[in-house]
Amino acid sequence: MKRMPLASASLLAIAISLAGCGDDRPTEPTQTAAQPAAASTTPAQPAVADESATKAVVAHYADMALAVFSDAHGGALELQKAIEALLAEPTEQTLAAAREAWIKARVPYMQSEVFRFGNPVVDEWEGQVNAWPLDEGLIDYVEGDYQHALGNPGATANIIANSEIRVGEDLIDASQITPELLASLNELGGSEANVASGYHAIEFLLWGQDLNGTEAGAGARPASDFSVGEGCTGGNCERRRAFLEAATRLLVSDLEEMVAQWQPEQENYRASLLAEPAENGLRKMFFGMGSLSLGELAGERMKVALEANSTEDEHDCFSDNTHNSHFYNGKGIRNVYLGEYLRRDGSLVKGPSLADLVTKADAKADQTLRSDLEQSEARLQALVDSAAAGQHFDQLIAADNEQGQQLVRDAIAALVQQTGSIEKAAAALGLSDLNPETADHEF
Amino acid sequence: MQTSFRLLGSLALTLALAACAPQDPHQKVSAALASNVLLPAYHGWSEANRTLEQSARAFCAGEQDLTQARQHFSAAQSAWAALQPLAVGPLSEGNRAWQVQFWPDKKNLVGRQVERLVQSNPQLDAAALGKASVVVQGLSAYEYLLFDPALDLADDSQKARYCPMLQAIASHQRGLADEVLNLWEGEQGMAAMLRSTPNTRYPDGREALGELLRTQVSALDGLKKKLGTPLGRQSKGVAQPFQAEAWRSKASLANLAAALASAEQVWRGNDDNGVRSLPGAQHQNLVKRIDEAFSDTRKRLAAQQRPLGEALADPAAREELDALYDSLDRLHRLHESELSRALEIPLGFNAHDGD
Repeated sequence: MKRMPLASASLLAIAISLAGCGDDRPTEPTQTAAQPAAASTTPAQPAVADESATKAVVAHYADMALAVFSDAHGGALELQKAIEALLAEPTEQTLAAAREAWIKARVPYMQSEVFRFGNPVVDEWEGQVNAWPLDEGLIDYVEGDYQHALGNPGATANIIANSEIRVGEDLIDASQITPELLASLNELGGSEANVASGYHAIEFLLWGQDLNGTEAGAGARPASDFSVGEGCTGGNCERRRAFLEAATRLLVSDLEEMVAQWQPEQENYRASLLAEPAENGLRKMFFGMGSLSLGELAGERMKVALEANSTEDEHDCFSDNTHNSHFYNGKGIRNVYLGEYLRRDGSLVKGPSLADLVTKADAKADQTLRSDLEQSEARLQALVDSAAAGQHFDQLIAADNEQGQQLVRDAIAALVQQTGSIEKAAAALGLSDLNPETADHEF
Repeated sequence: MQTSFRLLGSLALTLALAACAPQDPHQKVSAALASNVLLPAYHGWSEANRTLEQSARAFCAGEQDLTQARQHFSAAQSAWAALQPLAVGPLSEGNRAWQVQFWPDKKNLVGRQVERLVQSNPQLDAAALGKASVVVQGLSAYEYLLFDPALDLADDSQKARYCPMLQAIASHQRGLADEVLNLWEGEQGMAAMLRSTPNTRYPDGREALGELLRTQVSALDGLKKKLGTPLGRQSKGVAQPFQAEAWRSKASLANLAAALASAEQVWRGNDDNGVRSLPGAQHQNLVKRIDEAFSDTRKRLAAQQRPLGEALADPAAREELDALYDSLDRLHRLHESELSRALEIPLGFNAHDGD
């Protein structure tokens, strides 16, 4: 079958559109201009490497998933400990420690997201764990310029203040705040902004609303919101404590469940993945990398917030930890390609990789993707550095912050460019239809 | 004098066309679509925006009433919707598309940012608007001003408050549409790039056609999202009428119809010279199925007499809308998998992946 380079032109269009800017600067398609003859230079017969090498790569991919989800679970257990300490003695110190534990717990989790796209078992599970943006008025008190999804009946339900919640004609008994209750309240009334569980619900409870807009500062919930008895602020502290405890317990058990899906030699998702033709596994790996890189990270998580100057569309909007989340999302993409993952305990998981296969098929495609991955990591690092220097993501996207916007724009552009190289690397292995849901196995 | 210039121009064009006589079937289709479908649609959009700018001025001067202003808005919105499957090149670059429409608007950023800007900058002009967020620069904000249930621009004091912004948006849109049309026309324009290759965008006709097809597939995917979101396809089946595109002007389904009509034009061309003419004899069954899929989706859409918001509240109509969604889904999948394979045009990632 005759092959041609993947979607370079359309990708370029998206590239330019994602990387675009508010001014009227003309955009030039320099990439295609530089390589007008690209169509004829593709290797004529790229082919998937031999089956055993390919199988080893997919098996190592599953090992990495096991390691990263295990670390995410470990991070959640640490978070749970810190939250227990906070609830035992709510002080600014124990609150700060809990916040610190949350930020640390995000490091492995964000690296796990590259496994989400392409693996239905992760994608279908993910909503309860990391859904955003949320209408936080569902959970607790809100103030200031709180804006919620239009037509969301749960947007101001305030579970913490109400033991019964009315949504349309339904009255929900919320007297006991349990993990099961929180799970059932997700997408209440069909609105995806109704998020009662997962990292961001916990984040909101630890930080509170960020009322600073695009100015410096994150949420500033006082520790006394968790005090028992007289010192309680914000009202209903007992229920707030119960909520935090239940949401954390649910997060821990959700992650535990996902770890089990990747354990070897069990009847689980890993087993079914490894039983599929190995080529399909490769397709999932590339699909996960490309989808996270372009549509999710560059698009939903950065471009929307940037172009709309919208802090509501910031990923970790209560804690102002967005720079780290983006950085580790990017790291996850790199991990999958290189077959490397640096664990929480400092040990390195390393094994047969996509890079090994690609470099044999087309050394140039491998080199280009490696250098693009480095470039995107450097651009995401710039967001981390900016935060360390006092300018966080929500300040960078302010309408009048041209330099800040440029940092975000550069990161988007690097991710878009890398997505093109991901497609080319996949093509080098003979994979053209990258969507595992629509690809049949005729290729 | 003018006539002779025109003659000269058309002669030059004929020569130019003859010089690069497109033998490649991909090139032929790409050239035919550029001339007969895409360029006319961009002209239509540009004209609708000129009319919109005049309308904003006339409405604010008391020469047009609210009903007329709304009609002109609807015409511009419809011309814009028709461009969705045709959004190759300039419109997909920079953030131009976002400057026209901001959707999905999950948290009512449109309403919120419009009010904030009107408050902070009561005498807003097009230059100041150009520096503001994309959310307030386009038709979505214009629609908010003319249709939001909480506003009434027939009231003089409200009109005075919002008119500077209304006019600024219309001017911004007119400028944007003119700029895009400019980039389509001319010797180095987008239409020329689609007509003859190689050029700085496309190494050959196949790549040019490939981009047209990818845009078409991405647009069909987008239409599914635009219908599926209010239908509650991603939200436990609970209808989300306020998450629909153009819910304020009740034009969600009209927009869908305009976009679908363009997609069918890309398929058929103006004289069976569209994408439909490309699949070989062995794929004629596929061609027939895509024909039928277009016709099925079109008929189901035409059968919807009421605005989407009303239909969503009626169980019988909900079923019809679900069937419409499934029809659109079939149409999209036929393009995405079978047609792209038959034409050997891989699609790669699009911006909807990862949602």
